[in-house]
Amino acid sequence: MSLKHEIEFTLNGVKRKLAVDVTMNALDMLREVVGLTGTKYGCGEGECGACTIQVDGVSLNSCLMFAVDCAGRNVTTVEGLTDQPRGEALRESFVEHGAVQCGFCTPGMMMQADHLLAKHEHPDAACVKRGLEGNLCRCTGYKKIVDAVVACGGRDSVTPAQAGVQK
Amino acid sequence: MTVAEKKHRIIEPDSLIGKRIPKMDAPDKASGRTRYIHDIDLPGQLHGKILRSARIHALIKSIDTSAAKALPGVHVVITAADIPDQRPIGVAKDHFPLKVGRVRSERDEIAAVAAESEEIAEAALKLIKVEYEDLPVIGNPEDSIKPDAVLIHPEPHGADGTHLHLKQGTSIAHRGKADNVAMRFDYAHGDVVQGEAESDAVVEDTFKLHYVTHCCMGVSGMIAEFDAAGNVQMYSNTQVPFLHKREFAEYLNIDPARIRIIQPPIGGGFGSKLDIYPFEVICLYLARAAKRPVKMLFTREEEFLASPTRQPVLLTLRSGCKKDGTLTFRTVHTLHDNGAYTSWGATTPFVMMQTFSSLYRVPHCDYHTAAVYTNNPYAGSFRGYGNLQATFAIEQHMDMLAAKIGMDPLEFRMKNAQDAGEVTGQGMSFKSCGFKECITTAASRSDFARKFAENQANQKKPGNIKRGIGMASMLHVGGGAKIYPSDGCGTILKMDDFANVTLITGASEIGQGSETVLSQLVCEELGLPISAITVVNNDTAITPWDVGVHASRTTFIAGNSAIGAAKKAKGKILAVAAKKFDCTEADLDLRGGFVIRAASGEALVELSKLLRNLHFQEKAELVMTTFYYEPPSVHQDKGFKGDVSAAYAWGNQVVEIEVDTDTGFIRLLKVTGAHDVGRVLNRLGIEGQIEGGVVMGQGYAFTEDLMIEDGKMKNPNFRDYKLVTAPEIPEMDIAFIESMDGEGPQGAKGVGEAPSICMAAAAANAIANATGTRMFELPFTPEKVYRALHGQTPKRYWKPWKAE
Amino acid sequence: MTELKRYYAPTSLDQAVECLKGGNVTILAGGTDLTPQSQAGRIKFRETLMNIRHIPQMSGITLEGKEIRIGALATITEIMEHPLVREHLPALVEACDHFASDQIRNAGTIGGNICNASPAGDTLVPLLVLDACVELASMPETKLYRHCMPISTFFTGSGKTRKSLCELVTGVRIPVPAAGHVSRFYKHGTRPALDISTISIGVAGNLKDGVLSNVRVAFGAVAPTPLRATATESALEGRHLDAATIEAAAVAARDEVNPIDDVRATAWYRKEMIHNMTKRMLENVAQA
Repeated sequence: MSLKHEIEFTLNGVKRKLAVDVTMNALDMLREVVGLTGTKYGCGEGECGACTIQVDGVSLNSCLMFAVDCAGRNVTTVEGLTDQPRGEALRESFVEHGAVQCGFCTPGMMMQADHLLAKHEHPDAACVKRGLEGNLCRCTGYKKIVDAVVACGGRDSVTPAQAGVQK
Repeated sequence: MTVAEKKHRIIEPDSLIGKRIPKMDAPDKASGRTRYIHDIDLPGQLHGKILRSARIHALIKSIDTSAAKALPGVHVVITAADIPDQRPIGVAKDHFPLKVGRVRSERDEIAAVAAESEEIAEAALKLIKVEYEDLPVIGNPEDSIKPDAVLIHPEPHGADGTHLHLKQGTSIAHRGKADNVAMRFDYAHGDVVQGEAESDAVVEDTFKLHYVTHCCMGVSGMIAEFDAAGNVQMYSNTQVPFLHKREFAEYLNIDPARIRIIQPPIGGGFGSKLDIYPFEVICLYLARAAKRPVKMLFTREEEFLASPTRQPVLLTLRSGCKKDGTLTFRTVHTLHDNGAYTSWGATTPFVMMQTFSSLYRVPHCDYHTAAVYTNNPYAGSFRGYGNLQATFAIEQHMDMLAAKIGMDPLEFRMKNAQDAGEVTGQGMSFKSCGFKECITTAASRSDFARKFAENQANQKKPGNIKRGIGMASMLHVGGGAKIYPSDGCGTILKMDDFANVTLITGASEIGQGSETVLSQLVCEELGLPISAITVVNNDTAITPWDVGVHASRTTFIAGNSAIGAAKKAKGKILAVAAKKFDCTEADLDLRGGFVIRAASGEALVELSKLLRNLHFQEKAELVMTTFYYEPPSVHQDKGFKGDVSAAYAWGNQVVEIEVDTDTGFIRLLKVTGAHDVGRVLNRLGIEGQIEGGVVMGQGYAFTEDLMIEDGKMKNPNFRDYKLVTAPEIPEMDIAFIESMDGEGPQGAKGVGEAPSICMAAAAANAIANATGTRMFELPFTPEKVYRALHGQTPKRYWKPWKAE
Repeated sequence: MTELKRYYAPTSLDQAVECLKGGNVTILAGGTDLTPQSQAGRIKFRETLMNIRHIPQMSGITLEGKEIRIGALATITEIMEHPLVREHLPALVEACDHFASDQIRNAGTIGGNICNASPAGDTLVPLLVLDACVELASMPETKLYRHCMPISTFFTGSGKTRKSLCELVTGVRIPVPAAGHVSRFYKHGTRPALDISTISIGVAGNLKDGVLSNVRVAFGAVAPTPLRATATESALEGRHLDAATIEAAAVAARDEVNPIDDVRATAWYRKEMIHNMTKRMLENVAQA
């Protein structure tokens, strides 16, 4: 019934060949066709960043991308990110800094943070905040996420003792 | 190793309390491995979708589902007519999951479809034809209480001729209501007339609090399936599984024993998952009819349209004090916009009246609420539960009264602040109370007094950038809240042959970190590292009863319960060890995975070895314990008086802002908070709660505004419903006041809701400090601030509703 | 459930414009608008969905004579970070910096922003004050035909342009500003990113000895299209940028816009902001 198109692309380092609905977005393809559920649906309109992936090294909202537009490109999701050294370091930093609460925004945050660190090796807090402006989080108030990314970049890292003051 | 070999091994004391312990579920969440309800699919599963009303307030004249039923891939289409055994749901039992004969709000559920895919289900919805006959819309609560107002729930139900021969009952859904008042609350202590007569200064103002909503990042969802015997298994995001088990059984007219609720990790709660919503019952109806698992997930737009909101409130407050700064009285009248149906939002006065009666010492207090029906979205519970609204009014009046008698706002608060030992007019008994220390700490760390004076002096000087500083305080339950027959939580604890612990707790993890903090408390008792514990907390078939995640109660109640079970296990272990080492139990302790001599720290035997010896002896035994903790709080009497919580949390926050008077744009520069948390258990976790709460409070104060016009939601999306984004967050300086509560687990008190409460009130005071203009309506968006600064905001006055 | 019959990803401009001949084509570039709009059913697909990503002539940012050419497929991020743009077109950089979010800037293209023709389109106001021309390609007979249209005449209504269904926007050309040229862009939203403009203002001109000439002023989100503010320009043209001139221009600006009330702001507030922020920007220019 619906128009399909076959595409070839690289997903987390593995070549894939898939027939997808032409009208399907990349988010639905990842979650429903490929079965990688780490990429989250938050709004479907590019306003929350929960579905952030990387395509050819830049971060995108997968809900704003046609699945067919993955053809010939190199796609990375959170499942592939944490296999890489920087992704692994980011995950550890997120865990250690308390950057995860309900965790629903976390995969998108990680993907965007990784892209940010690829462009700015040692970002300061202001740079990280601007870099994460397209990713909404309702639990953490962002501070610990920013701390985690800054620490991962190795600049102005917030030591645990500074972050809270015991009475 | 023999005992002799271990003689030299000394294990130094160590504690997990107050440490920064990473959340146990964080590594999986940060790897995309955690399976939320959205990520779970069952074999044979169908997808459910709901047709919502195309009108705000109308009679349903007819529904034609024939074309939808004929669509290939559609399994089931249901309307109210297909479910003759529908029972009314909600806090006041005033609506049916599938609406009968009448729709009363934009979100109202008319029909539902279960189909092979979401796309087919959506296509089927478009084929359902509904004929309506429009009724007048009540778009605000002031209109709702007018004598000639259209009734939202007229009696008898279905008088329009579409009555569906429902079983007669006594609920509002069946018999209707003769007026639009959903709930009334009337509370008093002292004599406000006398209080006013003693006053040297009196202020009265009307405050208007707006609609906001939870915006959990994970949209609502549920999966329901029935087995061949009619048992129900639900994957649900609920925060209160045990209460819901009983309620769902009622709605399905089956034995509660047949209902099993499994809670996958949830993408945010904040109070939104305390009530049962129509979609959940409808999902069950679909699964029952289809004899297949049915999964239902909201879209983001649907999440906005069909989720509960924070309670919008119109509030007139009259307050007085003497020249010396002593508070004399408070009279409060509120009009709550209940929306079309009643959920927990209507009951927020339980919390609001506590703030008015007891945050500061006030000898005379009168409090009245009418929660009234309108055709707007209906309000549920939301972190803070009315306290943001109450505090917004009360803390502005604290500044205004102080100004009126020429007293420093800090001194004025200190003069009236509660101390430990106080029993308030409402019967709340403050055993631990670090309130004054919260105020002085936040004030000194933010240099409040100096900045307050400087900003005030700067108001009339030239320049479009004005700085402001303002403070607000809060009181909230911190040791549970005795609302239900029990406010308790059960724990089952078992230890294996390797000294690993499984903690089975009734307390749900909703992202707040309860799993980790409960683990800490257990491991602290048993002298084990965090890595030695596994937590099971998500299956009503396994976990013991708990009243649910609400009222900032989990750390306190579930914590005490977990400690109780751990202490019993420890007692058993030490009894065995004492026998083995020929000493008393008091001579021994558990530390670092060993049984040690308490005095010297000398390791006597590995705990795992002792447990194996116990297990594999002739008279085999395992260490398995249970504990049920019920806090020593009491139910309120009919006049709402009583010590409803085992402990109370206190706090003070100072907000610093910069106002651009050319645009009305406010930059939130810094928030200094001091919170009496009893004791810090997991420093990482508690900081996260406070920071997240502050930013949620920031959203309430400045950016979030769910715009409803005559029942229609204008901005059901993240583009125009503005959550705070990362670049907007303030600098945060948070201090913890450790008052070491005597009843609290390791001295701790609940703090989950506390940090959101003060922000809007402190922001209002900061705007007044910066500009000399007082704002009584939220949110402080650039246009609203600009209008206020340019005299374009007429002052609202709502004439108090007379108490009956 | 769609009338969509064909997916096509041409690899040359000729192929693309040939495909457009029938006019029954939905064009996909960055997808940041088309994806959600089509998924929500607000945009219906035409018979062919044409993905223009693989057409080489449509990418890149280059200096061509006295013009900077930005290919229609250049993403907002590419534009914002390009040395030529950063050197010569600061107002465009400013607009790109406040465009949606990093993820959307990485995917969204300038061609898409122009063709969407939103009254609040972030790049449109700076393009107007920079005298940009829109490059169009089509195939009337059998040969590729290309021409340019000033962007000031391109927009005809909200979401509407003078581009025909058979035409493709291939890029935008901006004259390299002469020495002494100043340009400014201001976006009034409530937050740094992820925001639709409440209003936006662009100002450009040649500044010499405190006198502004060849003035261009444009406003976004105050009318069905982004528009040039001719009365405001006249109030400034050839005048010394003193306090009186600035106030007169700000008043002219407020008087010549006719915005609407919507969820983001009332018309009254928009007019106030046009006045206050035009004034602030001109004061800033005067100090340059």
